[in-house]
Formats: sequence, structure tokens, C-alpha cells
Amino acid sequence: MSSLSNMSAEEISELLDEYGIKHGPVVDSTRNLYEKKLKEAMAKGKKAKPSPDKTFYREEEEEVTYVYRTPAKSEDVRDSRTYMRSRPEWTERELEHSASYSGYSRSDYKGRNYDELSHESPKYTKEDFPTYGQDAPKAPKSSRLIPLWVQFLCFLAVAVFLYLVFSSMESNEPLKVIE
Amino acid sequence: MSTTSQKHRDFVGEPMGDKPVMALSGIGDTLGKKLEEQGFDKASVVLGQFLLLKKDTEMFTDWLKDATGANSRQAGSCAQCLKEWCDAFL
Repeated sequence: MSSLSNMSAEEISELLDEYGIKHGPVVDSTRNLYEKKLKEAMAKGKKAKPSPDKTFYREEEEEVTYVYRTPAKSEDVRDSRTYMRSRPEWTERELEHSASYSGYSRSDYKGRNYDELSHESPKYTKEDFPTYGQDAPKAPKSSRLIPLWVQFLCFLAVAVFLYLVFSSMESNEPLKVIE
Repeated sequence: MSTTSQKHRDFVGEPMGDKPVMALSGIGDTLGKKLEEQGFDKASVVLGQFLLLKKDTEMFTDWLKDATGANSRQAGSCAQCLKEWCDAFL
């Protein structure tokens, strides 16, 4: 691997594209910065062409988990935004051809190797699900500030409290109204 | 979002013209001198750098921290200041 400082500006530009780093022209004042970015990207373990699948998983993991869960749970407002964002992604991936898809994704997603992924997308729709089945139980826990069981407990506590309040009332009228 | 400083508001409120680099939000005397040493003697030159980085505030923040030793707050403030100036005047 030739040292970055020996490369021409075009080569640096190409490398930045490979690592999916959005960049401007490589000139005197920006060169230093881009070389550093490339070194960091290389140190992270080659997010470039060699292993696009892993990039896909890491970036998509959270989003796909939301899609996986939302059929069951559509109340979460926080998820609805991600849901809306990732839903088009899934329909696009499954329905559209890779040619038109790569055109769409290039303009929309910055810094992602979708031009490589578009080739692999048909494979992923089938292969993803088994893995995501495992990931789904894990991810929701980490994304919630308050664990689910705590929320259920609070709800039950409030329900029991209300029942006690009603049952301790002198007159039976409130209960009758409800019934 | 967060409240802007008077310096920020002063900069973003009008064309920068020939303002010195220390007129930028987040850039004080120390950072200003370091920028001038590197040839960025006017705010417009720093703007030039910001534009070269395609108005990407993250990239610009990294560059500024690298070039002058600015901390995240100062660099972020400068980036935000330039971004808003561009939104208004560019």
C-alpha cells in the first residue's frame, strides 16, 4: 500500500469514494484532512469494496429492526419516523431493479456503498430475515430508555390504583355507570 | 435549538465583506492568530475553506480542530456560523 502523501489528488479522491467518504476537491488546504480521514477509515478495518456486506449490516441493522417490529407495534412515535424512512427502503429493495435503485440511492444516501449493494440486494432480502430474527430481540432493548417490563409494571400499578379508588368509594353509582 | 451568541448574530446578519477571521463565532484571539499564520487572514478565506469542504459542517469542524487545535465547541460554533451565513447570503 503506497503512502497516501505520494498519491495524486485523483487517487485520493477515488479512495475517498471507495470508503464512502463524501468529499470536495482535493487541493492543498484539504489534502491533509482527507489523508487523515482515509487513515482513520483504513484503521477501522476497510469499509471499502472488500466487504460491503458488513457495512450494509452495521448501517442497516437498526433501521431494519424497526421495520421488523412495527407490524406488531405501531404506537411508538419515535419509531414512526425511522419506520417511514426505512419502509421505502425495503419496498425499493424488493421491488425495484438494481439499475434504477442505484440511481435513487446515490442522490439520497450519503457515504454509503449502495452502488455495490445494489448488486447484492436480491440476495439480501432472503438472507437478512434469519439474522434479523436474532437481532430484533436485542436491538429494541438497547433503543428503549425504560425497559418494556417497567412500562407494563407502571401501567398495572396505575390500573390497580384506579380500581382501589373506585372500589373504596361510598356510593356505588360510579361503578354502575361504568358497567 | 441552542441560543446563539451576539458574535454569531452579528456575523450572520450581514455580508462578511472584509471582516477579520476573529469576527467568526467561536474564533477568539488564539485561534484567530493560528488561522492567520496559516494564511487564513480574513473570514472570507475561512469561508473559502468551508465551501471547498462542500459546506459539510462535520468535515469543517474536523479540519478546524486539526488546523488550530480548537475544541469541539469552538469548531462547531464556527461551522454553524458559516453554514447559516451561507444559507442567508450565498
